[in-house]
Amino acid sequence: MSLRVLVCCGSGGVGKTTTSAALAMQAALCGQRVAVLTIDPAKRLADSLGIGPLSNTPQRVPLQHIGIETSGHLDALMLDMKATWDGVVRRFGGSHQAQQRILDNRYYELASTRLAGSHEYMAMQRLYELYESGDYDLILLDTPPTRHAMEFLSAPQRLNGLFDEGVMHWLSLPRSKRGFKALERGSEVVVSVLKKLIGAGTMEEIAEFFDAMKGMWAGFQERSAAVDALLASDETRFVLVTTPAPAARKEAQEFADLLAETQRPFGGFVVNRVVPFPGPQTRITPAQLPPRPDAVPEETWRAASLALLAAADRQQTLADGEAKAMAQLREQAGGSVSLWTVPELEADVHDLRSLAILAKHLAPAIQELGQI
Amino acid sequence: MSLLNKRVLLVTGKGGAGKSTLAASLALAAAERGKRVLLVETHGSNRLPVVFGKRSMNYQVQHLTSSLYHLSVTSQKALEEYIVGVIKLRALYKLVFRNRVMGPFMDAVPGLHELIQLGKVMNLERTKERGKPEWDLMVVDAPATGHGLSMLNAPASMMELTRTGPFYENAKLVQSIWGDPKRTGLLLVTLPEDMPVNETLDLYTRLGDYQKQLVLCVLNEVHVAPATSSQWAHASPHLSAPGLLQAKTLADRHMGRIDRQEQARERLSALPCPLVELPFLGHRDLNLADITQLANQLQEAL
Repeated sequence: MSLRVLVCCGSGGVGKTTTSAALAMQAALCGQRVAVLTIDPAKRLADSLGIGPLSNTPQRVPLQHIGIETSGHLDALMLDMKATWDGVVRRFGGSHQAQQRILDNRYYELASTRLAGSHEYMAMQRLYELYESGDYDLILLDTPPTRHAMEFLSAPQRLNGLFDEGVMHWLSLPRSKRGFKALERGSEVVVSVLKKLIGAGTMEEIAEFFDAMKGMWAGFQERSAAVDALLASDETRFVLVTTPAPAARKEAQEFADLLAETQRPFGGFVVNRVVPFPGPQTRITPAQLPPRPDAVPEETWRAASLALLAAADRQQTLADGEAKAMAQLREQAGGSVSLWTVPELEADVHDLRSLAILAKHLAPAIQELGQI
Repeated sequence: MSLLNKRVLLVTGKGGAGKSTLAASLALAAAERGKRVLLVETHGSNRLPVVFGKRSMNYQVQHLTSSLYHLSVTSQKALEEYIVGVIKLRALYKLVFRNRVMGPFMDAVPGLHELIQLGKVMNLERTKERGKPEWDLMVVDAPATGHGLSMLNAPASMMELTRTGPFYENAKLVQSIWGDPKRTGLLLVTLPEDMPVNETLDLYTRLGDYQKQLVLCVLNEVHVAPATSSQWAHASPHLSAPGLLQAKTLADRHMGRIDRQEQARERLSALPCPLVELPFLGHRDLNLADITQLANQLQEAL
């Protein structure tokens, strides 16, 4: 199959990271060599994979611990922003001296971890490294929670814009004293205004940084273009993770529209935490209850009986609301879009076994996507 | 209640935990107590006016109901206002800062957007009308945890970056108001499940110096508990007549939720602030009926 990359997107709190891990596990169970790259996993997810704290280098998930035998395997890693940035500098930064000049710059230190879009950008970089290594059949990318879908997709452009030749030129002017003749009036104004706003000292440091980055620019651009092409190619699918909650759904729908607009390959929706409808056998009457044993106090018995009698109605109300919501999502997305539902599980995913349960629910998704 | 005596309340928490609903309910509850309240949205979604049957307006104070007003502060607009204020020429701003080259640069300065948004809020805190503050209370619907934290840390980041100049001075001023526990308070919204509670406790440890700003933790979407988990554990083994099996599976599931809810409550009690619980309302559409209902519940809790 030609599918090499699955990108999981969605708003915060929908179970994106866990879903990425479960999809990855399911693909590994199907015999593939899989890596899952997470951004900022809750500690518990890392624990649940049975490998302790995740790091920037892939670690093998011990699937055999829960009796799974497969010819495939699953590696998990967590994005380390600083390390990935440093890697990019080492790769494209030219001579050792030139690299060191960037790495030692104070603004680089701040910029590399805090620049808007750099999280997303570095996630894509790391993804591309894994892709290029050829070590994996399939790579799952868990994306940072975004306020807007566009924030993720436009990250490379934003960062490229930052390192655009134009900015480099303007900002490195005050340092590279060559060319007062070439100094355009516009850049003079920019520099003086920026100096006024952030102070001459900082301006100097930023200029120094951009000057040092200059040599990297071409490599940087080329690399981003390659990542961008991969994410738009037939080797990639975007999976939108959501829940039946309106806010999450709305965001997933907006993301789907955006994928269509920007011509990115959409794989389908994963709808998490869907409450199942209660079966006919779940409705009971007080007459069906057994008599209270003497060992159980009256108050306790009354409360527990109520929990039992009210269960079906509660479930019905929840499921009704959600069914309506899902119908809306299907309708808006159009008939041909895949939508995989995952029922609300008994408990959070907290170990390999519970992750395997979730993975099983996602088997239809992996099967369908695997046919690509 | 001391909470409503603050000047600025920032609401943050896990995405999808109900920050916007809580911020709106809190603002409404304060307005109903006769305070002149400004509800500030910072994430650009600008949904609240519509919920109150008004038109969405960008960057313009709008009346919602009684003494409740609304303002959506997008960073783009706030930045323009700020820089134009410093350099005095709007045309120059457009020419210099919003062109193809400088636009992305300004977007990429770490923490700048968050700082300017926060700065706008803090400026409004200081505006006076006939010698009195224009707003008794400002409730800020801040971005979710990660971005929320970068917003809180924005003044410090900017001060570290610049060390001089108007941005530095602005950051320092914002810091002095935001860092003053007498004037500002922080509310964390979370859900009664493990992961959201982990994230909330983690956020608290990462607050550092701002920990003293924490005034309230809101546990949202709390389910009705027909029985406590210990009652259920005690009695349910005896509720095993034929025909009850499926109902019991469902009840077990709900009681599992109740159990996690009790644990969440227990773990959140470690935070040095009161914990308010709000009920699960069956769905999560942002609507006026829910906001009003939650505002009433908050009135009782405040």
